[in-house]
Amino acid sequence: MIRLAASETLIPAPNIEYYELSPILIVFGVGVLAVLVEAFLPRAHRLHAQLALCLTGLVAAFVVVCTLTDEAQENARAVPQKVAAEGAVAIDGMTLFLQGTILLLGVVAVLLLAERRLGGEFAASAATVPGSAAEKETTRLGWVQTEIYPLLMFSIGGMLIFPAANDLLLMFVALEVLSLPLYLLCGLARRRRLLSQEAALKYFLLGAFSSAFFLYGIALLYGYAGSVRLSDINAAVSGSEDNDALLLIGMALLAVGLLFKVGAVPFHAWTPDVYQGAPTPVTAFMAAATKVAAFGALLRVFYVGLGGAKWDWHPMFWGVAMVTMLFGSLVALVQTDVKRMLAYSSIAHAGFILVGLVATNAEGLSATMFYLLAYGFSTIAAFAIISLVRDGSGEATHLSQWAGLGRRSPVVAGMFALLLLAFAGIPLTSGFTAKFAVFSASASAGGTPLIVVGVLSSTVAAFFYIRVIVLMFFSAPVTDGPRVAVPSLTTALAVWIGVAVTVFLGVLPQPVLDLADNASFLIS
Amino acid sequence: MGNTSNGEAVLFWILAPITVLAALAVVGSKKAVHSALWMAMVMVNLAMFFAVQSAPFLAVAQVVVYTGAVMILFLFVLMLIGVDSSDSLVETIRGQRIAAMLAGIGFGVLMIAGIGNASVDDFNGLTAANSAQGGNVEGLAALIFTRYVFAFEAIGALLITAALGAMVLAHREEIGEKLNQKALSIQRFKDGGIVTPLPAPGVYARHNAVDMPALLPDGTASELSVSPVLRARGDVLEPDDSVAAEASQRAQLGKGSSS
Repeated sequence: MIRLAASETLIPAPNIEYYELSPILIVFGVGVLAVLVEAFLPRAHRLHAQLALCLTGLVAAFVVVCTLTDEAQENARAVPQKVAAEGAVAIDGMTLFLQGTILLLGVVAVLLLAERRLGGEFAASAATVPGSAAEKETTRLGWVQTEIYPLLMFSIGGMLIFPAANDLLLMFVALEVLSLPLYLLCGLARRRRLLSQEAALKYFLLGAFSSAFFLYGIALLYGYAGSVRLSDINAAVSGSEDNDALLLIGMALLAVGLLFKVGAVPFHAWTPDVYQGAPTPVTAFMAAATKVAAFGALLRVFYVGLGGAKWDWHPMFWGVAMVTMLFGSLVALVQTDVKRMLAYSSIAHAGFILVGLVATNAEGLSATMFYLLAYGFSTIAAFAIISLVRDGSGEATHLSQWAGLGRRSPVVAGMFALLLLAFAGIPLTSGFTAKFAVFSASASAGGTPLIVVGVLSSTVAAFFYIRVIVLMFFSAPVTDGPRVAVPSLTTALAVWIGVAVTVFLGVLPQPVLDLADNASFLIS
Repeated sequence: MGNTSNGEAVLFWILAPITVLAALAVVGSKKAVHSALWMAMVMVNLAMFFAVQSAPFLAVAQVVVYTGAVMILFLFVLMLIGVDSSDSLVETIRGQRIAAMLAGIGFGVLMIAGIGNASVDDFNGLTAANSAQGGNVEGLAALIFTRYVFAFEAIGALLITAALGAMVLAHREEIGEKLNQKALSIQRFKDGGIVTPLPAPGVYARHNAVDMPALLPDGTASELSVSPVLRARGDVLEPDDSVAAEASQRAQLGKGSSS
């Protein structure tokens, strides 16, 4: 038996706030259980077990997030302000709002992943060589790669930590935890598998490269402040003037890593290829939830940690926001593939969200959070609808194939049109409320040039969204064009949820706007 | 707190250029195996830097984990993929390499300009950090299990994801029954391929290694007798030289005995 020598100092046990951290822990726990399900349950039962497990876990985590918000509001009429896990995790208004958003988007994503009636979107066995006899055999046997569920849960877990991380080291770990499963999921498409694997490889290589930038930025900021904790960095930034080079370079490199994840312009190159190649449910999840998490992290780093150096990073973000809005909208004009078009539109939206971020006030924070929620639900439903329009070889994503779709399937085409109008920011949709909130926050912070560019690029964007609507409703249907497949209940539910949220946030946005206002608190 | 000691400075100025050159060689080598070996060199040098900078734990971890485990895994992967599956080195985007080099040099200049500006006169807090818990390893342990405990635990999710991902991408489950040896040999006769073992490589008086093909009765080299991997690597010798050398020797002998 080993006995501690008397002189040895004992490390005090860390104080972990399990209750405040339980949304994250529940999601990770479910991920681990889902791995065990893969290992021990026979193939026939896995899918249902995974679905039940993941949905329960996500809903349970969401309930905890709601209770946390609720309790704090009862106690002090404000959102909770607590730094948990030895100061590594900030549980504040923004964390809880974004965690709730990510969990709800996660529920919708699980529903999309569960689609079986259309033949499924995922390879029967990802390890088989594309086009091989083994691939045909596994497909014929009706296998499903149910490992996608634990992977999704780990990714969601990482996303829950990412905006909450109060320390750059934890933020980096969260970035990797959320990215690695996404790289994998991108490569698991059932059809056009080589394209899907290419997308996964591109995403992985570029993602690893941007992670390296992020890490380098952390190292330089550590050199500057002597700590990776955001509050310490903030103290160092506001306290001293010397040796700014480390701060500036570190800040820029950190921004590279985060702007890559949100898909803002100089670092957007991966978006169209990955969105097009990945299985559509994964694209939907990535476009919606990754943006939420990454913007949450961006807000926390630049508001909490580097708020004192605002005048150093502000011009850079102005430029990035403008270029992102214009570039996304202009390039989307010439796209002929629906998924690529939505990818460029998501780049443009990243620009709009950045407009809220550069407002650097509570209004901007609340507008950004509202925008993320609204855009997340619209985009997840839009990609879900894309997965329904199919011809003999799978999804028909070429725009010319969508001609006259509105005459054949008015309901689905109508819903897609509504979502496009929301993207364009037409009143009575969530997109309008969100854009209005972001622009008015920016106006109050003196961002008039940004708003001018924003409105201009919204107009350009409206043109191509409406062109798709015209194509769907006012042109002759192509002969033997794609049909709208009848999906299973889960996908239908996902689409309806997305559309309902889009309409609700357009017609009655006030309760959610209030929620976002109340939640626009950051602590360090 | 003290400056850099002479010994450390000497070590740094000897090792740093070697490390930079090795790092450039990682990128520049055409063969993946060479890149991997240069990488190992970079990592060993880094370990030495850590060691002289009073970070013994990092130095050991660098050698054991990176040089020992990760690099060997790299080499295993290269062996499994096979040397004959080579990368295409054709540039798909014109001028890409030049542009990448310029960008890299630009970034380097920026970093040097920035970091070179930093004041590095004194060490700051090294002794304090190393003695706070009674040593370097103890200090790290205290940080990992208190301040960074959550990050440390979250990495668990990353490891599970990595294991799961490797299974998803690489583990092929058997479909149907696994063939036994009897079934396999029946299969081989049915397919009508080569049923005998492949011919052994050539055994000559002057050379009998695996890179030398055997001769067929008509005097040509038997391709089946050497591994296609060696052939792809261009490492197969031709038996003609050996045969010719032997023939000339025999001719010499014959001349000698007759005279």
